[in-house]
Amino acid sequence: MTNGPPIYFGAVRLITRSLVWLLGLLVAAISLSGCGIGGLSPIFPEPVSPNGSDIYQTYIGISVPALIIFIGVEAALLWIVFKYRRSSQPAGYVPPQTHGNTQLEVAWTVAPLIVVLAIAVYSFVELQRDFQPINNAAFTVVVSGHQFGWNYTYPQDFTIHQDGTLQGEVTPFVVPTNTLIKLQFEGTDVIHSWWVPAISGKTDAVPGYDNFSWLKIDRTGKWKGECAELCGVGHSTMQIVVQAMDKSDYDSWVNEQLAKKAAGSSPSPSSAPGSSPSPSS
Amino acid sequence: MAATTVLPRPKAYDDTFWKPISLWLTTTDHKLIGIMYMVTGILSFLIGGIFALIVRLQLAQPNLKVVDAETYNQLISAHGVTMIFFFVTIFLTGIANYMVPIMIGARDMAFPRVNLLGFWLVPVSIILYYSGFFTGGALDAGWTGYAPLTEKAYQSHSLGVDFWALSIIVWAISGIMASTNFLTTIIALRAPGMKLTRLPLFVWAQISTSILLLVVGAPLAAAMILLEFDRQLGTQFFTTAGRPVLYQHLFWFFGHPEVYIMILPGFGMISEVIPVFARKPIFGYMSMVAALFGIVFLSMTVWAHHMFTVGMNTYVEGFFMLMTMLIAVPTGIKFFNWMATAWWGSIEFTVPMKFAFGFLATFLIGGITGVYLASVPVDTQLHQSYYVVAHLHYVLFGGSVFTIFAGIYYWFPKITGRMLNRALGEWNFWTLFIGFNGTFLIMHTLGLEGMPRRIATYSNEAWAATNLIITVSSFLIAFSVLLFIINIVSSWRNGEVAGDDPWHANTLEWATTSPPPPYNFERVPPVRSFMPLRDLRDSGELEVETSAQPAPAH
Repeated sequence: MTNGPPIYFGAVRLITRSLVWLLGLLVAAISLSGCGIGGLSPIFPEPVSPNGSDIYQTYIGISVPALIIFIGVEAALLWIVFKYRRSSQPAGYVPPQTHGNTQLEVAWTVAPLIVVLAIAVYSFVELQRDFQPINNAAFTVVVSGHQFGWNYTYPQDFTIHQDGTLQGEVTPFVVPTNTLIKLQFEGTDVIHSWWVPAISGKTDAVPGYDNFSWLKIDRTGKWKGECAELCGVGHSTMQIVVQAMDKSDYDSWVNEQLAKKAAGSSPSPSSAPGSSPSPSS
Repeated sequence: MAATTVLPRPKAYDDTFWKPISLWLTTTDHKLIGIMYMVTGILSFLIGGIFALIVRLQLAQPNLKVVDAETYNQLISAHGVTMIFFFVTIFLTGIANYMVPIMIGARDMAFPRVNLLGFWLVPVSIILYYSGFFTGGALDAGWTGYAPLTEKAYQSHSLGVDFWALSIIVWAISGIMASTNFLTTIIALRAPGMKLTRLPLFVWAQISTSILLLVVGAPLAAAMILLEFDRQLGTQFFTTAGRPVLYQHLFWFFGHPEVYIMILPGFGMISEVIPVFARKPIFGYMSMVAALFGIVFLSMTVWAHHMFTVGMNTYVEGFFMLMTMLIAVPTGIKFFNWMATAWWGSIEFTVPMKFAFGFLATFLIGGITGVYLASVPVDTQLHQSYYVVAHLHYVLFGGSVFTIFAGIYYWFPKITGRMLNRALGEWNFWTLFIGFNGTFLIMHTLGLEGMPRRIATYSNEAWAATNLIITVSSFLIAFSVLLFIINIVSSWRNGEVAGDDPWHANTLEWATTSPPPPYNFERVPPVRSFMPLRDLRDSGELEVETSAQPAPAH
């Protein structure tokens, strides 16, 4: 029942080959240049906060059974493809007409059940460890998402405006190192989602909904993130930068902010445009 | 054919594909309606694919301005809506509309005129949705249309959201009609001997799909109606001052089962294709059926796994995590049963069989990444990133679309009477397999690196190379689909004549002519097992059934 290739088949072959070659050359060029390897990591960036490291560990834990199952099943599929194709079977081979096997079917019901139950329990332990409300934080920062930027209000009653842009870096959200800080999330217009992969997972800022996260960064440095919930035309501009400073640097930074606020408090232009989007309706 | 004993055959049926327009507009024949569903689905596939290609061009390099952010948001929304609502679901309804009545030995669907109305609501729904583009901009909040972004306060400039909501309401009504019709047909119109335990697995899959759509179609329409109340009557259901999370609950109570509405018929097709080409009966028929219903039940208890970052109680999250992971069990049963069916077989790797194995190889990856996403802590990292985009394309493209291709290559000879060109089909498969994996495999890593989905552009140079590879691969997919369209068009007109049963298949649709007459069977063949045609072939009764009608001459 094979029917012959159509006349234009030369063209099909040519286009396919050129596309596949282009793809191959691209992959080769990128791996040879050695610079563009970023974006091909099989795991998150190295975590700098304990909740991030716990998630990282959970990911690795799930990967053990996942990789075994993946490799095992794909290998079995390849075995079927090469071993049981008609051309590898003896001429006139008639397959056994089995309709099933209760023991086998029970086995591959129970085995996956055990694996997923184990993964569920393992994940639930981590969920209880790092996603419960906390009350031992050194202080709380209120993180408020709006179209298009983030506001961080500190307990000293000053606010950092991280207004969205794609040109250059946004104003960093500054935190002291080795300090447990609770992040209290607020939405003022639509839903936004705060995500810095090196710190931890996402937390949504939903209007009218209490949500929280926490961080405790163990080193100084800067980490980038983005808003992860489509929030309008400026969604991709809602960049996040978190900067961790030593305690002493942080204290002087706080004093600087307080001084700035005091200087500008009489005409009160401290709130930048876009920082006061009153909830509509 | 003994002309005295059968219904008169309308002249139109003996003509070529270009039957009179009036026939197509008014037909209640489930086969013609099925073809119209399928053609609508394929056209949507092409349109949705063009949207995707523009999106990929925009993301090929950092800071590109192929389209602006507003257009980009409309394109990604239109890509999702088109592929999910207008391609996969519609195409699968079409192929079931064509095949289910024949496979159970019926003459037509139970309610032919409901079928007619149900189909014609689909173009209404599609036109409603695209009208948004001509009224100031279509939906631009993603295919999920999360409130309050879709509320009037943030979307006052256009009617796109209203058109989308109306379109989805019409779509849901059409789906509910089709589901009712399928269930009634399968319960009431089975041929003598076609007990429930002898139904082809594709028919069982259609039962489970119909139950799902019947249950979840109404909540979807409800969400859209409440959204319209908000927008047009000033209510506060999902607004900033209202309860935006309620929208997510309603939407995903539809949205997650919809994933299974789009894959269960595919599972059914794979369950038909693998036994035929491995020359073995399906392994574990009863456990295959039980697994379908396990999935139906579980799929309605997992919706909030799309909402792990909104801040729910951890015990609630734990429940949804557990239920989500449990879906791996019935899916695993089906997967291992397919492998056991092929094991020790004498496998002929025809094009449909290649697509079936392509499906197994890629769907496995989608299934495994699904377990990562089900784990709440890990999901807070992966959620709304390119990891999710990769995962959902592994289940929807590697899953549903590969099964759809398997189904088309398998049933095209029955529907048109002609074979699809095999050489083109092989190239179609390999370019699609390479292009698909080139596009979506490395997308996982982009998500892990921190690239959120639905961003119109990015400034991170580290993501540039990966995105470029993805874009080039996506054009390989486009080329593959072009080959497929060429194959369909040229084979429909000039393909090799197929005959009644080119694959030596097991089920009733191959017992009639290709294409089948309007009444499907002159005499419905006896059904003695879930492989009735094979029984007839083995007992030598087949010649009587098929020799009467040679393939139509042209």
